[in-house]
Amino acid sequence: MALLQIAEPGQSTVPHEHRLAAGIDLGTTNSLIASVQSGNASTLSDDQGRDILPSIVSYQADNILVGQTAQALSIEDAQNTITSAKRLIGRSLQDIQSKYPSLPYEFCGDENHPEIMTRQGAVNPVQVSAEILKSLNLRAQAALGGELTGVVITVPAHFDDAQRQSTKDAAKLAGVSVLRLLNEPTAAAVAYGLDSGQEGVIAVYDLGGGTFDISILRLNKGVFEVLATGGDSALGGDDFDVVLVDYLVEQAGLVRPLSPSLERQLMKQACFAKEQLTDNDQVDITISLDDGSDWHTNLTKAQLNELIASLVNKTLRACRRTLKDADITIDEVIEVVMVGGSTRVPLVRSEVEKHFNKPPLTSIDPDKVVAIGAAIQADVLVGNKPDSDMLLLDVTPLSLGLETMGGLVEKVIPRNTTIPVAKAQEFTTFKDGQTAMAVHVLQGERELVEDCRSLARFELRGIPAMTAGAAHIRVTFKVDADGLLSVSAMEKSSGVESSIEVKPSFGLDDNQISQMIKDSMSNAADDMQARMLKEQQVEASRVIESVQAALFADSKLLNSDEITVIESAIKSLAQVSQGQEVKAIENALDKLNDSTAIFAERRMDSSISQALAGQAVDKM
Amino acid sequence: MNYFQLFNIEASFDVDIQELSSSYQTLQKTVHPDKFAHASEQEQRIAVQKSAQINDAYQTLKNPLQRAEYILVQRGVEMPNEQHSFQDTSFLMRQMELREMLEDVRHSGDVDAALLEVQSVLSTEYLQLSQIMRTQISENNAASNSAACDNLRKLKFYQKLNVEVDRLEDSLFDD
Repeated sequence: MALLQIAEPGQSTVPHEHRLAAGIDLGTTNSLIASVQSGNASTLSDDQGRDILPSIVSYQADNILVGQTAQALSIEDAQNTITSAKRLIGRSLQDIQSKYPSLPYEFCGDENHPEIMTRQGAVNPVQVSAEILKSLNLRAQAALGGELTGVVITVPAHFDDAQRQSTKDAAKLAGVSVLRLLNEPTAAAVAYGLDSGQEGVIAVYDLGGGTFDISILRLNKGVFEVLATGGDSALGGDDFDVVLVDYLVEQAGLVRPLSPSLERQLMKQACFAKEQLTDNDQVDITISLDDGSDWHTNLTKAQLNELIASLVNKTLRACRRTLKDADITIDEVIEVVMVGGSTRVPLVRSEVEKHFNKPPLTSIDPDKVVAIGAAIQADVLVGNKPDSDMLLLDVTPLSLGLETMGGLVEKVIPRNTTIPVAKAQEFTTFKDGQTAMAVHVLQGERELVEDCRSLARFELRGIPAMTAGAAHIRVTFKVDADGLLSVSAMEKSSGVESSIEVKPSFGLDDNQISQMIKDSMSNAADDMQARMLKEQQVEASRVIESVQAALFADSKLLNSDEITVIESAIKSLAQVSQGQEVKAIENALDKLNDSTAIFAERRMDSSISQALAGQAVDKM
Repeated sequence: MNYFQLFNIEASFDVDIQELSSSYQTLQKTVHPDKFAHASEQEQRIAVQKSAQINDAYQTLKNPLQRAEYILVQRGVEMPNEQHSFQDTSFLMRQMELREMLEDVRHSGDVDAALLEVQSVLSTEYLQLSQIMRTQISENNAASNSAACDNLRKLKFYQKLNVEVDRLEDSLFDD
């Protein structure tokens, strides 16, 4: 065994090392991956020079195809070729079927865990997204020449907790480490802000294939502060296609249900016609019907505009409300940044221009801007830019609350609250002698439970019997920097506690995820073990590195005994992490983490007072 | 350390929002979890906690009603429970009138104009009341603090009405 190296106290062991990181735009229709190389963020291409990867996965008899090769099969093999999985992720079956009634899939699984039946068996939308992430990860490894330390994955700002959690689960399945989930409009603002150097209030209008976001941000000295965000997680360019398909079905005198391949063909033609009408005033459409005959028609730009007008209007209403939430007038907005392929539709551009009273900015490629922004953030988060003063302050898109008596929702964290956030609220019992309380966590703006999204339910048991209203139950909501919620409840007088990572309702649970990871490996048990060992070793070296750097910088905050304890914990972790015992590494990691708790707290407090002192000096 | 000390600004109801926000951003640049994405789990956890506390303090001082409440509580003024009944009957009458005015908007011939009218009435009365509270807070004696506390409660009624106006507006102009 090689001898372990230990640094002299007060000396950094950490030479500056460039770590590989990337930003991933996991889109409804298309996905991209970008990275910062020699100071420039750019998208990474596949071996054929294409940077856009269609978000399409096709399950064939003996392999899984992703991207262009899957796209080629989307009509002839519609049932086994899954497009727009992002629209299905984190949703219930009922939700999916009421929003998208004509999907060409055979659904199975239960109400809260819908799956699609393919010739490779049932697949969950999370698994479909994981295939896309795997493909992008491989591309990045080839382009950058090594394994990625971490990635930033973008999500629509309007994604709810279940959709965010499912996206993170997909990354876990794909074996990529997530540094942060970043909101798409915020990513675009970063790319735009750093490129232009503008300061002031900007609006980001992001209309993708399946989602719409509007975010209002204030840009100031490297700080990107989201003032408010709004939108619709089920409104996008695909919906333009849907109204167009419905129109074509009606014009052609077709009666639903149609065959899956005819539905797909109509969708493809509608999308093609929409794109053609960006630069042309009319387009010819030909549909090959199931009986072998062709049906022809012609569509004008004016007809398209009429069909999509109410959808575009819906986005403008969201803009109005979001500006109001941000407490910003239209005149204060210095720039409107357009993001997402659907902002190419001429009616969208002209209506946005009319609404904001200024021509929208389209100079940055609306398809790439999100991935580029995510790459910039990934580069900072992974530690490649220690002197960067960039800071992203994002918000919760939807209010979070609890069910109270009468089926009403009590909001605990209102929408547009800056994250991370922790808020507590006290509740009490309704009946004499009540010893348990059902905690039902909800997300949404409406007053009634039935109109909000149910995120989780859990029970607080063992409350001492008291008269109604005497117990004090404190429920704490915490939202982390990824926008993910955890909830805990505690009865104050007895200290009875119960908590939950908000997770179960629509996603996968941890057991299912590890089972899927196992299943995906050829030599399951060994591979799993090897993967876990490697993960723990990487984590160990990361923690050792960061604690050593902390000791180097701030050992003055510790007395010599404390330093000895930490150093011995480092030493033993370094030793066991050379071995093969996953559990032993975990234990040594926990021990080191415990021994540095006070140190970390002191460092944080000391940097807070230093930051202020620095500012006071600046003012003089 | 109280919130004013945390942001190193003068403890007063008339906060310089620019100054507050600049202190806030300086602090977040120090503690935000993004600065610790590569650090140990321990540091990440503490960063989330501190960052959340600073966010909370900032929101409290930024929002005038929350700021007023924070100042009054700091001075030891007892905040009555929200369910606690109100003595001021003329104020309650006025609230009922405003509520009726709001309900009538839906049935009005010109919904837009009726809505604008309600919004303008609400904002005028809110402004008047908040000016009075501001003066009372700056006087800072037992009587003025208690009067400020009453007015703060009244302002919260207006705030609730404003939420209802927003809701009405959304429902009127949604599909």
